[in-house]
Amino acid sequence: MSRAPSLEAPAQRATTAPRLRAAALRCSGILGFAVLWELASRLRWIDPTFAPALSTVVVTIGRLIASGALLTHICISAGRALAGLALGLLIAVPAGLVLARWTPRARLVLDPFLRVLSQVNPFSLMPVFLLFFGSGELVKITTVGWVAIWPILFYTLTAITTVDPILLKTGRSMALSERELVLRVILPASVPTLFVGLRIAAGLVFFMLIAAEMLGTNGGLGWLVHNSAMNYQIPGIYAGSLLVTLLGFGLHRGLIALERHLSPRAGAALPTVPGARRPAAVAGPAPRPSASAVPTPSRWSAVAEQEST
Amino acid sequence: MTRREILRAQLLLAGAVLALWELLPRIGWIDPVFVPPPSRVLEALVHLWGLGLLGEHTRLSLGRALGGFGVAVVIGPLLGLALGGWFPRLRQALEPLMEFFSQANPVVLFHVVLLFFGIGESAKVFLIAWLCIWPIAFAAIAGVANVDPELLRAARAFRLSRPALFVRVVVPAALPSIFTALRLAAGQSFIMLIAAEMMGASSGLGWLVVQSQESYHAPRIFAAAGLISGLALVTDRILLVLEARLIRWRPPLDEGRVLLAGGAER
Repeated sequence: MSRAPSLEAPAQRATTAPRLRAAALRCSGILGFAVLWELASRLRWIDPTFAPALSTVVVTIGRLIASGALLTHICISAGRALAGLALGLLIAVPAGLVLARWTPRARLVLDPFLRVLSQVNPFSLMPVFLLFFGSGELVKITTVGWVAIWPILFYTLTAITTVDPILLKTGRSMALSERELVLRVILPASVPTLFVGLRIAAGLVFFMLIAAEMLGTNGGLGWLVHNSAMNYQIPGIYAGSLLVTLLGFGLHRGLIALERHLSPRAGAALPTVPGARRPAAVAGPAPRPSASAVPTPSRWSAVAEQEST
Repeated sequence: MTRREILRAQLLLAGAVLALWELLPRIGWIDPVFVPPPSRVLEALVHLWGLGLLGEHTRLSLGRALGGFGVAVVIGPLLGLALGGWFPRLRQALEPLMEFFSQANPVVLFHVVLLFFGIGESAKVFLIAWLCIWPIAFAAIAGVANVDPELLRAARAFRLSRPALFVRVVVPAALPSIFTALRLAAGQSFIMLIAAEMMGASSGLGWLVVQSQESYHAPRIFAAAGLISGLALVTDRILLVLEARLIRWRPPLDEGRVLLAGGAER
């Protein structure tokens, strides 16, 4: 996997300006938006009853934090999200391992079924889950878990089938048993790819959870927004929306950073990554610089991978 | 295992699943109120169709989805190509903002959008367009950034002017990545459509699901859910065929690269 560092696209070469200036440039878009929002409302370009100024919204957020209500709602939402993710991981990773490693035929046969299932609209499934699990916590967790399963499963399948064959051969030549091979070679080598699936799943879970909370619960961030809307507390709507967006943004950035940390592939020149997913022995044309340098909106990428496996 | 064997196994499995699904509720191992057998679902589908409800709601839903998606298909690539290929500094300034916007959960935005657009059709179309624009724009930017430098060098050696370079090299090279995003966006637009219709609409397939849920009509829930999934699958197929038609020069798929790009690029 040789990748010359000089293969940066020309468009990106313009960024050799001092770091500070680059950072200022990067912030300018968001700052400009914030200023525009504040001005538009203050100068009454838009009706401030419908679009309160950013400062008003921030004050509302501050009040929510001060009253402690926000923390409670965030904890409720986070608990549900984590439970859903855990459910997805517990089902999808073992299933992926078994399908990819031990029952390749079943995988071939099941493939179209899994794809169809993954396409089932989670919103239209919610009533079905409601019928099964009543309207308690379990519905939210299963809905969210359902959403989490598919990206994790598809990425696990790809991760395990594309473990570097050299690693497998080396492991076998050291007379590792199948169990050891799985535990000490295949799983560690799959972690970077698996994590991509986990990141996508986390994005989807966050999206789905807020939606589920808006459609019927008490408590949670989605409920906070929905409740404000029902009571015509317009600053509350904006505060909730801004918070959810900020949290999503933070989650996305944090997971990408973690992912880079786990698999140092996003850098420029990397000779061999442990567990390289591209058979190193196959000398093809050098791969183009990957898109991972550009933060791609993760939650949308799930299907692309499914289609290409 | 040959293709035929796989196909036979798949058909067998599908048959077995359907048979079980039909049988278990009938003999009472699963409560048919919750999980109606497929025959009942089909019956509900035909019945709804006969009432003229199904066609009408499907038409309305598809209209909304296509409206939003259409807006995104026009704006997304233009935005991405312009930022990625033409204004690198502006791109740097706007990319974090765009990322922020793309994280703005459209379900949460729903109430904000309602304040501006009212509860009519335009709110739904706006939400779907909002959801779809960002992945497409990002894919276009990534596609431009990942144009093979060899191609660019070759084009420069031929002294292509900047517009010509853009139209004949950059855009075609970015097209595969844009198309992938289009397919993702189409899938997402269906999810969002149903969500929007469930939250505030008096028509459409999402409304039909909620309506059936409130009247505890499980066969209808399954029928509507099945129809929605079917529509999403068909849309995806159509885009796939379109992609194959439009992009003939695409290099053979390299699974490694797909993974390296985090699934966003093919």
